[in-house]
Amino acid sequence: MSSEAGKSNMQQDPNGNGMTAVAEANAGLTLAEVRERLKGVKGKKYWRSIDELAGTPEFEAAVAKEFPDQASEWIDPVSRRGFMKLMGASMALAGLAGCTKQPEEPIYPYVKAPEDLILGKPNYFATAMPFPTGGVPLLVKSDAYRPIKVDGNPDHSYNQGSSDVFSQGSLMDMYDPDRSQRATVRGNVADWADFYEAYREKLLASKGNGGEGLYFLTSAITSPTLERQWSEAQKAYPKAKLVQYEPALAGTAFAKGFNPQYSLDKADVIVSIDADFLSGAAYPGFHKLVRDYAKRRKLADGDRTMNRLYAIESTPTTTGMKAEHRLVLRASEIPAFAADLAAAVGGNGASPSGYSWTEEQTKFLNALAKDLKASGGKSVVIPGLYQDPSVSFFAQGINVALGNVGKTVAYGTVAGQASPSDQVADLKSLVADLNAGKVDWLIMLNTNPLYDAPADLEFKSAMNNAKMTVHLGLLPGETGAEAIWHLPAAHYLESWSDVRSYDGTVSIVQPLIEPLYGGRTTHDFFQAMLDEPMVSAYEAVRATWKADLSKGGDFEQNWRKALHAGWIDGTAYTPGTTPTALAAAKAPQPVSKDTFEIIFRPDTNVYDGRYANVGWLQELPRPITSLSWDNAALVSAATLTKLGVEEGDILEITANGRKVKTPVLVAPGHPENSATLYLGYGRQEGRVAGGAGFDAYLLRTSDALHYTTGTVKKVDGKWGLAVTKSHYQDHRGKLAGGRGDGNYSLEWNEADIRGVIRAATLEEFKADPNFANQDTDERSIDHKDATLFPNWQYNGNAWGMSIDMNSCTGCNACIVSCYAENNIAVVGKQQVRIGRNMQWLRIDTYFEGDLSAPRAHFQPMMCQHCENAPCEEVCPVGATVHTPEGLNTMVYNRCVGTRYCSNNCPYKVRRFNYLLYSDFETESLKLMRNPDVSVRSRGVMEKCSYCVQRIQEVKITADKENRAIKDGEIVTACQQACPSQAITFGNINDPGSRVKKLRDDSRSYSLLADINTRPRTKYVAEVLNPNSELAEAPVEHAG
Amino acid sequence: MATKDFTTNDPMIDPETGEFRVLGQGQTFNSVTAKISDIVLTPHTPWGWYGFFVVAGSVTGILMTAVTWLFLKGVGIWAITQPVAWGFAIINFVWWIGIGHAGTLISAILLLFKQGWRNSINRFAEAMTIFAVVCAGMFPLIHVGRPWLGYWLFPLPFTMNVWPQFRSPLLWDVFAVSTYATISVVFWYLGMVPDFGTLRDRAKSPFAQYFYGMMSLGWRGSVKHWMRYETASLLLAGLATPLVLSVHTVISFDFAVAVLPGWHTTIFPPYFVAGAIYSGFAMVLTLAIPLRKFYHLEALVTERHIDNMGKVMLGTGGIVAYGYGMEVFMSWYSASHWEFFMMWNRMFGPMGWAYLVLIFCNIAFPLTTLWVRKWRTNITFMFILSLIVNTGMWFERFVIVVTSLYRDFLPSSWGTYRATKWDYATFFGTLGLFTFLFLLFVRFLPMIPMNEIKLMLPSAKIKPKEPAAAGSEGH
Repeated sequence: MSSEAGKSNMQQDPNGNGMTAVAEANAGLTLAEVRERLKGVKGKKYWRSIDELAGTPEFEAAVAKEFPDQASEWIDPVSRRGFMKLMGASMALAGLAGCTKQPEEPIYPYVKAPEDLILGKPNYFATAMPFPTGGVPLLVKSDAYRPIKVDGNPDHSYNQGSSDVFSQGSLMDMYDPDRSQRATVRGNVADWADFYEAYREKLLASKGNGGEGLYFLTSAITSPTLERQWSEAQKAYPKAKLVQYEPALAGTAFAKGFNPQYSLDKADVIVSIDADFLSGAAYPGFHKLVRDYAKRRKLADGDRTMNRLYAIESTPTTTGMKAEHRLVLRASEIPAFAADLAAAVGGNGASPSGYSWTEEQTKFLNALAKDLKASGGKSVVIPGLYQDPSVSFFAQGINVALGNVGKTVAYGTVAGQASPSDQVADLKSLVADLNAGKVDWLIMLNTNPLYDAPADLEFKSAMNNAKMTVHLGLLPGETGAEAIWHLPAAHYLESWSDVRSYDGTVSIVQPLIEPLYGGRTTHDFFQAMLDEPMVSAYEAVRATWKADLSKGGDFEQNWRKALHAGWIDGTAYTPGTTPTALAAAKAPQPVSKDTFEIIFRPDTNVYDGRYANVGWLQELPRPITSLSWDNAALVSAATLTKLGVEEGDILEITANGRKVKTPVLVAPGHPENSATLYLGYGRQEGRVAGGAGFDAYLLRTSDALHYTTGTVKKVDGKWGLAVTKSHYQDHRGKLAGGRGDGNYSLEWNEADIRGVIRAATLEEFKADPNFANQDTDERSIDHKDATLFPNWQYNGNAWGMSIDMNSCTGCNACIVSCYAENNIAVVGKQQVRIGRNMQWLRIDTYFEGDLSAPRAHFQPMMCQHCENAPCEEVCPVGATVHTPEGLNTMVYNRCVGTRYCSNNCPYKVRRFNYLLYSDFETESLKLMRNPDVSVRSRGVMEKCSYCVQRIQEVKITADKENRAIKDGEIVTACQQACPSQAITFGNINDPGSRVKKLRDDSRSYSLLADINTRPRTKYVAEVLNPNSELAEAPVEHAG
Repeated sequence: MATKDFTTNDPMIDPETGEFRVLGQGQTFNSVTAKISDIVLTPHTPWGWYGFFVVAGSVTGILMTAVTWLFLKGVGIWAITQPVAWGFAIINFVWWIGIGHAGTLISAILLLFKQGWRNSINRFAEAMTIFAVVCAGMFPLIHVGRPWLGYWLFPLPFTMNVWPQFRSPLLWDVFAVSTYATISVVFWYLGMVPDFGTLRDRAKSPFAQYFYGMMSLGWRGSVKHWMRYETASLLLAGLATPLVLSVHTVISFDFAVAVLPGWHTTIFPPYFVAGAIYSGFAMVLTLAIPLRKFYHLEALVTERHIDNMGKVMLGTGGIVAYGYGMEVFMSWYSASHWEFFMMWNRMFGPMGWAYLVLIFCNIAFPLTTLWVRKWRTNITFMFILSLIVNTGMWFERFVIVVTSLYRDFLPSSWGTYRATKWDYATFFGTLGLFTFLFLLFVRFLPMIPMNEIKLMLPSAKIKPKEPAAAGSEGH
């Protein structure tokens, strides 16, 4: 949605001072008091969403005024005109680009290599996505020479085919119609050649003084070739300076080179100290860590052992929500906790912090220390990326003391980034040099410091002291608009490079398509400083690996092999056993509990803001909060009450003398008296990013990049947040089937009663393997014959799916994969707010237990492909029909749009094109679409098809080869993306198939079996492995 | 009609025939004919009529605007969303169809039951049926995502060779509603034929003579004509009678056949039919009371009519109340969690207010007051009551459609529903269209059947031995 639509949400609260009733709650309001207050509003007073905690009428008024004016916000005429302009420009440019003869740089297809292009037959190419926390090895599907689907490289040892929201979303990033399409100088159109000339002149002129005054500011260098090019350039220009700045990682131990390698598959006890390693690629090694974590929770083939995860965290994340035991601490308390844990376990001679923990916290600490000591060599402590460096120090100390090094964790390996540096110090000195007038040329490569540099550095005013400023980027952004030169960058899918993944393996980044807008990469800038300035990135990458690839024979042959496979053999790190030399640290004293804490985190969807213009990622509901299209100050329900505000109210947060206004939203399980601000929002430009959220960078200073303290107050106004799943509190009395006084989630209580979520502890599971399917339980019995219609007969294939609830961590990779595979439309914030988001697949999140410290259950939910499908019976035109293989298919052409099927779908997985949601106009987005899937128009119902196009493709191949389809040959898009391998798909008529085995597992249950839909998707019930010493394990299994 | 031992000075008893007096005193054949046909044939259209006509026409204009915008943009201009994929359109559809039922009941069932008093109100009640069906029938067509393909719901032999899906209640609706519309129109027209003859004979302007002459199909009022007319009336009444029960039963299947708690219930058919008649009579009252006042028809549509309609509403309202009660009881007695939660949510959930409105408008207010004859014959009171019941019955459909859908099986997909201005524009627009059509009807067609009214006059009753009175056999 455009900035206009976003701004129009900013409405004046007519009852501006309506908060006084709650504001009377004095500052020292405790959780118990809040509960006391809530007791008054149980029963019939039962309003929507958590924010009714205060029970004031403002919320109602807000909701009332949010919707009636929706109709005026359907279509934004400005952005539509913008579309047309850009379209024209892109067409003109496409014509120009076609005139240049490019040097021959052959790329090699992957396994399924056709002799030549066969239209309709896609090719697959191995490449990798550079990312600051490590490259993601990819296998990209290319149809008619355009990349249409990004997936993990299944043969790569690191991610084994899995991906994440960023790599999935990077496809749309490349086709982003807002990308810079030409070079500009002072806002006027220019040519790359003009820039080159100026740049070469400058380089020649600075040759004499060793490049003095030449400054490069880049994002983190992840490419070994780039690192080589820079070090060579440094030799030629010894006084030229390179500053790396990665807003999310600056100031972390990781950016300075601390990159331990964890082997969670060998760990019985995993402790996360504010390390969010399960929710996304923002944590280094995410793909491997999730896979290894999930591997020990499969309980397959009679295995009755599993790992146990403890999470100590300062903001709710999926890691904490999946943990057996979760301890909520304020961010500044975590280093002290790590110190005390190290002291308790006996790590690196740490002495207790002396901080006074509550009884509950002490109990947790003791039980955890005991469990860790008992699991020496089979445990691992993972420190948080965004924590004080002392946490990494203590975590390493604990791992050493427990003898985990060399078993579950390896230290002393090569850094995750090609050229680790102290980014904050470097950036500070750059700003100092700028202010001192020492900077001649400031070249900013793939970075956006005007937006994301620490606010206290005042980068904008500093930058204008440089004589020449150059910006290279995919989008102009804030920096490109201000810099003298702005140059379009090439996307990684358009250019050559190389990158190391978490385990050190080098992958060649090979382009899938010619740069759409003539973009260049950082390689060209550094190469220009060398003796052979015109060597392309392709040649540069080849040169870097010439020696390595020539070892085992012919270079060309090995090069082709490396491109083909997607990695260079033998480049993985050798696991080291020597701990990384970290400066002995002392845990900083936690701030007083009365101080309001502010936590900064890179966003789970748009990261540091680089994906802010990717519609798929903007519309993706975040884990835990289900918030899309905005960021918000996340606070606990008690803090919300204490502040006397409602969800969606505007808070003014002041920290370090800076202020920002932000809407507020409750995140269950958030620590008290603190707020989490996700970075990456508050952009002004971009058809998608513009106007969404607020800019948390405005508060972020160089000495407190990850958390700080401040004050907060309510200001006038309301911000309509697009939360895809509202949360309700259970105020029902016992008589009405409730069990809460508002402290529990209504959805959880209902989900539990309805058998939607079934879970047990490991002990319970051992005692009763059938806990999820009690014989007496109506919800578990298959009433095969209780239908008027004859049962379907399946003689050949019968497709089915199994979803392992124990493995799913709710990371959302599957949803973005589904977006790309099935051409799902992005509908915009206003439509999401009224519940019309089009995702075929959603992650249902249920919060179990007290909402101040809940456990979340993540349940991927898509079409269940029922045998007795309620949707099929009610469609008057037969637009949704059963196939002979048991798929419940939508015939888009036949659909007239009565929506009866959706009403009758108990799982509510159908999605309707209420308006014309698909973009039929933007040229670049047309290239992105999967040609095997129809783009749905207005008035048509759609839903998950089990990726029928993939099934068909495999069937045709098998048919041609006159063989049966092999188990595992058909991989759905969600299954392919899933890093925890929670999704299994296959033929349930094949007794040997994995899906059949999983469906027959004693833990496997059908959702809503009591209404006899007999779904084809089954869920494998969760099993938790709590520590018996922490008795109050919040596990309640379905009765 | 039964003759009971009433005291002879009861003003409601006709002293000559001993029957209940339905019409006002002092009416003659001539006065009835003049009264009714003058409304149609007068060259001086009342100013008030123009006033209403302009207002109703403007509201119809709003409907046209709303529907045009709907066709241009899609059904997303309404509030429907996931999980509430049906909203105002279906509520309005059921409401309008329900309203239509009173007309059919009056014209068919009361005819078969020889309820002579119906003669005063059956014509405009039938007209109401037809216009309500027009309004209702519009909604299923415009509410689909691709209305230009709406004809796919009909079993037409296309080259595509694809038939509709006969298991779908929506398809049954197509047949039910189209049959209903056809029978209603035919019955209505047939009833007007003798009156068209009268109008033709009394018309002064050549155009009116020509028009009513065409419409009267050569009616001469011969005994044969009357005989055939009465037979055809009876046959059509016989055909229409099952429709009174079946149409709303089929409509209720839209809900009852679904798996959704709150829809999936066997009580829906009788409960829907009773509700339909209940709301229909309320609408007849809403129309009759202003009409008799405006056109001074108090002698033809008497307090007795109002009173009788109040009694019918009391009866059908009682059935509706029983339906509500049974729903609540079954939600507990079935021991089904789905039912229990649905009912709890319906009554105490965020949209509990709608349930309260429904209970007040349909049960609490009418079923306590309608017992009192004094109030039943209080015209102002009955007019207000009819509006309240109409509102309540609309909310009944709102409660059924929305509060069942917005919180169903999986708590994760719960949502809410907030109507948009286009929802309101479409709904109020159909009220405008209905009024518009009705105004045209009262202006150009005989709104009260002259021929049938005359049969109720004392002068028709006291000459039973006259051979010319063959028509009275049917009554």
